[in-house]
Amino acid sequence: MTLLSVRNLRVTFDTETGPVQAVRGVSFDLDRKRLGIVGESGSGKTMTGRAVLRLIRPPGRIEADQMTFDGQDLMAASDAQLRALRGRRIAMVMQDPKYSLNPVMKVGAQLMEGLRQRDRLSRTEAHAKAVAALDAVQIRDPGRVMEAYPHELSGGMGQRVMIAMMLIPGPDLLIADEPTSALDVTVQAEVLSILDNLVKTRGMGLIFISHDLRLVVRFCDRVLVMFKGKIVEELAARDLLHAKHPYTQGLLNCLPRIGGSREPLPALDRSAAWAR
Amino acid sequence: MSSLTAWLMDPNPKSRLQSRAAQTWLSWLRFRRNPLAMIGLMISLALIFMSVFAPVLAPHDPIAQSLADRLQPPLTPGHWMGTDDFGRDIWSRILFGSRITLYIVLLVILTAPVVGLVIGTVAGYFGGWVDAVLMRITDIFLAFPKLILALALVAVLGPGMVNAVLAIALTSWPPYARVARAETLTVRNSDYIAATRLQGASSARLIWGHVMPMCLPSVIIRVTLDMAGVILTAAGLGFLGLGVQPPLPEWGLMISAGRKFLFEQWWVATMPGLAIFIVSLGFNLLGDGLRDVLDPRSAK
Amino acid sequence: MLIEIENLSVTFHAQGRRVRAVEEVSFSVAARESFGLVGESGSGKSTILRAICGLAPISAGQIRIDGKPLPSPRGAAFAREVQMVFQDPYASLHPRHTIDRVLSEPLAIHGLKGSDARIEQALTDVGLPAAFRFRYPHQLSGGQRQRVAIARALMLEPRILLLDEPTSALDASVQAETLNLLTRLRAERGLTFLMVSHDLAVIDHMCDRILVMQHGRAVEELSRAALASAAMTTDYARALFAASADRMLEG
Repeated sequence: MTLLSVRNLRVTFDTETGPVQAVRGVSFDLDRKRLGIVGESGSGKTMTGRAVLRLIRPPGRIEADQMTFDGQDLMAASDAQLRALRGRRIAMVMQDPKYSLNPVMKVGAQLMEGLRQRDRLSRTEAHAKAVAALDAVQIRDPGRVMEAYPHELSGGMGQRVMIAMMLIPGPDLLIADEPTSALDVTVQAEVLSILDNLVKTRGMGLIFISHDLRLVVRFCDRVLVMFKGKIVEELAARDLLHAKHPYTQGLLNCLPRIGGSREPLPALDRSAAWAR
Repeated sequence: MSSLTAWLMDPNPKSRLQSRAAQTWLSWLRFRRNPLAMIGLMISLALIFMSVFAPVLAPHDPIAQSLADRLQPPLTPGHWMGTDDFGRDIWSRILFGSRITLYIVLLVILTAPVVGLVIGTVAGYFGGWVDAVLMRITDIFLAFPKLILALALVAVLGPGMVNAVLAIALTSWPPYARVARAETLTVRNSDYIAATRLQGASSARLIWGHVMPMCLPSVIIRVTLDMAGVILTAAGLGFLGLGVQPPLPEWGLMISAGRKFLFEQWWVATMPGLAIFIVSLGFNLLGDGLRDVLDPRSAK
Repeated sequence: MLIEIENLSVTFHAQGRRVRAVEEVSFSVAARESFGLVGESGSGKSTILRAICGLAPISAGQIRIDGKPLPSPRGAAFAREVQMVFQDPYASLHPRHTIDRVLSEPLAIHGLKGSDARIEQALTDVGLPAAFRFRYPHQLSGGQRQRVAIARALMLEPRILLLDEPTSALDASVQAETLNLLTRLRAERGLTFLMVSHDLAVIDHMCDRILVMQHGRAVEELSRAALASAAMTTDYARALFAASADRMLEG
């Protein structure tokens, strides 16, 4: 069954110097699997993720031939219908927890807010659910974290809280936009495996947006490689090492390796025909 | 025209002048999209036009009295805004009054923000006791209500237009110092300041060439928004007889003279009042528009 | 040894609390060597660079260049000896100065002549077209901005370049180009690099010797060969190596 289906998605920004197309005709289907979107800055990967939730403000415009989520037409949905979808059925985790958590509210209160208001749970029920959510992201000391303010948490801890918060309503689709790039290497792997586990056990769909090809391959089933607003290659993660497109190969090869040679690193040829 | 636009839109400017002109052009395009700001700009330009061409536009001498024509209502032939109690044409007086208003506004613009900018950036850049001393002085000025302080200064200096400007300038710099200091505090720890300091730049060079350009937009916005207040203060001083002296056609003074006949000959006080209202509104709208263009935070 | 750092400690005073950002770190860098500091956020690696530049308060220890202790404030002579490239090219260029102004500023400060020719040469050296000279930073991409920042650091022809995560804000393909540029410039000009990064692979690619740091302390100094053969002795260095190698996806 197809959870999310996108056909010919375009995102255009009207600027003083004329319209700029950030996403130029992207199509993909997603069932309850893990889809990675990889690309460098300006490739339109973040805009694609946001466009699915119709979270693009003017002067940006979203157009698509088709965009359906679980049978519901997202392009025709009213603001109220979209609000009902956002957070509840489609959740989003952003890059930096520092900017996504309310700095003057305790973590516990933020976790419980949705439960109390949306689901009309009692205080004790909401508290229990919030603690369980923190438990699920392997926070060892949920009681302390509930009473902490966001600035008292480390980056990795903050990102786990964000994930916990997004997963409380039990969404069907999680869009994770560079969820670990603000974190240290040793923490990254931990956060990712938590995310991965949750997605697997709950049978959610995942859109994992990242600039890091190697990372995406490890945590996804299928990968879209984007460049300048277009999908240049779509492939199964296990076939990545046999990528055909020169851009994908370039992304793979340009990273230095520990113990690698001191030769100049291979650079992308931006003048090639495909880069137009 | 199209070659000029092409020159402005050239992604690779050939000179400093061209790149600056291109940036100004982009700002203008952004500014133009805001209709209210355009109205504000129109009003400000109209004020300048009126004051420059006052002798040409005015049908009568603004000071010459004609007791036979006193207190004529609006739409009287030859006096479409009516006349005051000395038979002077109100429209001519408003036209010439715009010169005084513009003169006051320009003098205040040239003094208060400059003082505020220097004090604010120096205080913010050096911090420590320099900051403490300069900001306490600023606080002392801020502690008094603006009009009262201006009144006290004029009372000491004696009434007159120049003294009124001086009083207004002396009372209106503290907010600019505050704005500039706040902006400096965010700029001073940035990497580009550190990089320039690493190259051996002196503090004066850093403040003048690197910190001030970053503070300028917020100060300009603040100044434009404050212009309405400056005009009102000047009019207030004129109204109280402490600013511009009669028979000069200052708008506040004209209201003050007209208040005696407010119920019978309402136009004598209302016409200059409308002029003050429209010009103040114009500057406010202009300031709002400039904020959208200049403020780096609200852009994007 | 060109750069000698001896028992360096940096302590910040913030809201009545003392934060020890760097504690008793010692190392030295030879002329024309490339030395790397690696560690995770909060390890104090960037603070060491800032302390060398006089941008962070030194509470104990000494920094010597060419055997001479550094003057305080650092002064003009220091500026012609040591320059720094910052992490974020979006924050390290003045948003209201053109590239021309950015590059001519160091020449103006030091009263150097012939700025037109020098600026065009500097742009060519870092692989930017001369047509970019009068652009503003926001008209450039991240990689191009970082090239401008590198050109600025080299305007005064220093011997030592301090590199504070010079590529961590850049895309992978742009990172490769920037690292290649830095390598080329070092070879051409005989520069000494002191480079900070959280990315062990980048440090390994660029540096001859590496100091691993954690929580403001030096953990272990490694040669490039020791790193490649995973011959580290401390647990933390090993964990960092494992986490980094984990991402390499051999193929």
